[in-house]
Amino acid sequence: MIPAKININFIQITTDFSGIITSVDAGEFAKKEFFVTTTIFDTCPFLEGTLEGLIIAESVLLEGMVIVSDNVEYNVDIELLKNENSVEVLILNRTNVYKIVDQLNQNRNDLFFVKREIAEKNKELDRLRKIADKANEEKSRFLAMMSHEIRNPLNAILGYAEMIAAETLNKNVEKYIKHLSYSGKNLKVIVDDILDLSRIEAGKLVLVNEEMSIENIYQNCEDTYKNQQKNTDVKLVFSVDKEIPKTILGDSVRLHQILSNLIGNAIKFTQQGSVTISATPVLTSNKEYVNILFTVTDTGRGMSKEQAVKIFEEYQQNKISDNRVHGGAGLGLAIVNRLVTAMNGKINLESELNKGTSFFIEIPFKKIEDKKLKNIAVSKTECSIKNKRILVADDDLLNQTIVAHYLKKQQANSTIVSDGLEALEKIESEVFDVILLDINMPNMTGEELVTKNKSFLKFNSTTPILALTANATKEDIKRYKKAGFLDVISKPFTSKKFVEKICSVLFS
Amino acid sequence: MIAKKVLLVGNFGVGKTSLIRRFVLNEFSEDYISTIGVRVSKKVVEYNNDSIKLMIWDVAGTNGNEKIPKTYFLGAHAAMFVFDLSREETYLTIEENLNMVKDLSGLKEITIVGNKKDLLTAEELNNVLNVVSVDVDLVTSAKENDNVESAFMKLTAQTLK
Ligand SMILES: Nc1nc2c(ncn2[C@@H]2O[C@H](COP(=O)(O)OP(=O)(O)OP(=O)(O)O)[C@@H](O)[C@H]2O)c(=O)[nH]1
Ligand SMILES: [Mg+2]
Repeated sequence: MIPAKININFIQITTDFSGIITSVDAGEFAKKEFFVTTTIFDTCPFLEGTLEGLIIAESVLLEGMVIVSDNVEYNVDIELLKNENSVEVLILNRTNVYKIVDQLNQNRNDLFFVKREIAEKNKELDRLRKIADKANEEKSRFLAMMSHEIRNPLNAILGYAEMIAAETLNKNVEKYIKHLSYSGKNLKVIVDDILDLSRIEAGKLVLVNEEMSIENIYQNCEDTYKNQQKNTDVKLVFSVDKEIPKTILGDSVRLHQILSNLIGNAIKFTQQGSVTISATPVLTSNKEYVNILFTVTDTGRGMSKEQAVKIFEEYQQNKISDNRVHGGAGLGLAIVNRLVTAMNGKINLESELNKGTSFFIEIPFKKIEDKKLKNIAVSKTECSIKNKRILVADDDLLNQTIVAHYLKKQQANSTIVSDGLEALEKIESEVFDVILLDINMPNMTGEELVTKNKSFLKFNSTTPILALTANATKEDIKRYKKAGFLDVISKPFTSKKFVEKICSVLFS
Repeated sequence: MIAKKVLLVGNFGVGKTSLIRRFVLNEFSEDYISTIGVRVSKKVVEYNNDSIKLMIWDVAGTNGNEKIPKTYFLGAHAAMFVFDLSREETYLTIEENLNMVKDLSGLKEITIVGNKKDLLTAEELNNVLNVVSVDVDLVTSAKENDNVESAFMKLTAQTLK
């Protein structure tokens, strides 16, 4: 006796070769659908055709078929066995099992399509990102190029202004020339800012990790700003906490840039009161790093919440009606923000209209192991290039005049030529103490010239060669040094910087 | 009336069920309900003045080189291999897959159909057909009822060979 539970889940039928039911042998499953002398194909259409393919005495299993009984679909497995003159058909109800299979299968396939869709979206995103990156790169390149193009004439303007200022002038001209210099220098800051920003954006800004002293940097800022500060109603207060290590590892130039930007801003917008600049250590559990909090607080005009939110955005300036708020091209704070981020630091500000503003910058610096501690020597030796034989090659007449003027002031013995070929001639026939070559010159560029080793052999085999150029990205400088230049004097330069550079290669 | 058993096989989601629905019921749905096991549909077609009852087996799609149960092919007169013109993985190993179907079914020829033509531009379609290493009998769109009838006629012709 077969238990009822099993009975209702199967049915066994015998048919002839054409599918006519000859007997219903056992089981109760879907019994209503099967009557002797009717065709089994009505309920089991999948057997039509299939029966013809059966081989005698070979049992066959058909899994996952569907039959309908009483308007309900059932998933069934079918076992077939062909005999001499009949076919045994066993129908097993597997609906419960297939329900689960169905679920799993649907999930698998749905997952597959979702994955595909995501992959396609990612591809599209990737494509769009590449386009955006490219456009951004183009922009940065364009900015870098533009600022480079501007630097050359700017150098001439600043140089001539400096020269004119050194003459005896009447009061008016003196005043005008002061304005001219001042504006020129401002313009230089803007151009440098643009170049900086485009470099940071292009990922070309590389921070150095050298030994530096926060105290020195503060001292430096203090000297500079106290000197410049004419407004006696505003007190400048600098303080460095004693707990800060004397030397740490970081990029002093960029830190100086960050602080200068903030201090410059603070001074600009404070008519009365004070600007306080402090550095304090922040307690952390990290043994390798020391976090330092730099604070610049002023008692100036402050700003509204709306302004504060947008303050680090690029070109913010242009959007604020009072475009004197931050001076320059409004890039200063955008640069500060990016530099701080590049140093893994955080920047915050608190501000209240007419009360003042505080900027807080926290930056982690690597500590120096005690034994590695070196004294950072702050040596500044005055040097003279009097009577030094200096060859200068530059095709730009304005630049020639400026350089000639600087050298004359130092009583150096200068030879000025206006292209690479002329310079080559001189190098092959005279001894020089220093050779200064412009990079972009007609006939022969400075870069080409410097590689002509043979020409230097006779008289100038050990003469230091400096590049005079406005192309002063890190890559450029690296390339020039590789070509044979000892160092680079980047345009625009002041007479002080110019002489210092020459000294550094003459006496090192 | 003679009955002929035909099967539609191919990767999952290529549109086998959709082609059959379009052919038998002239319906199409954007929903994807994966077929489990086998669904059989019937349709009587006229071919060379003969009425033929097609028993169309809609076989659950396979994944990669998963095998179709051999018993499904018992008594089959023809089979259609469907791939998705918009999905590379459904035709990159088509030769291998076809050989497997031929082995299992004992059929000499398989009707090869590229579906979802509507998703491709003419140029893309050309590129795909250049990549597919076998001769494609028909490109169809179940969605836009394009070439579906012809594909099944081609299949019917196969059953009579
Ligand atoms: N655009 C477009 N979509 C189609 C076409 N044919 C089918 N589809 C869609 O493709 C998906 C899968 O179609 P199905 O017919 O279920 O595919 P299948 O081959 O039966 O899939 P399995 O049963 O899992 O093997 C569904 O969302 C359909 O709407 C077509 O010609 N064009
Ligand atoms: Mg299907």
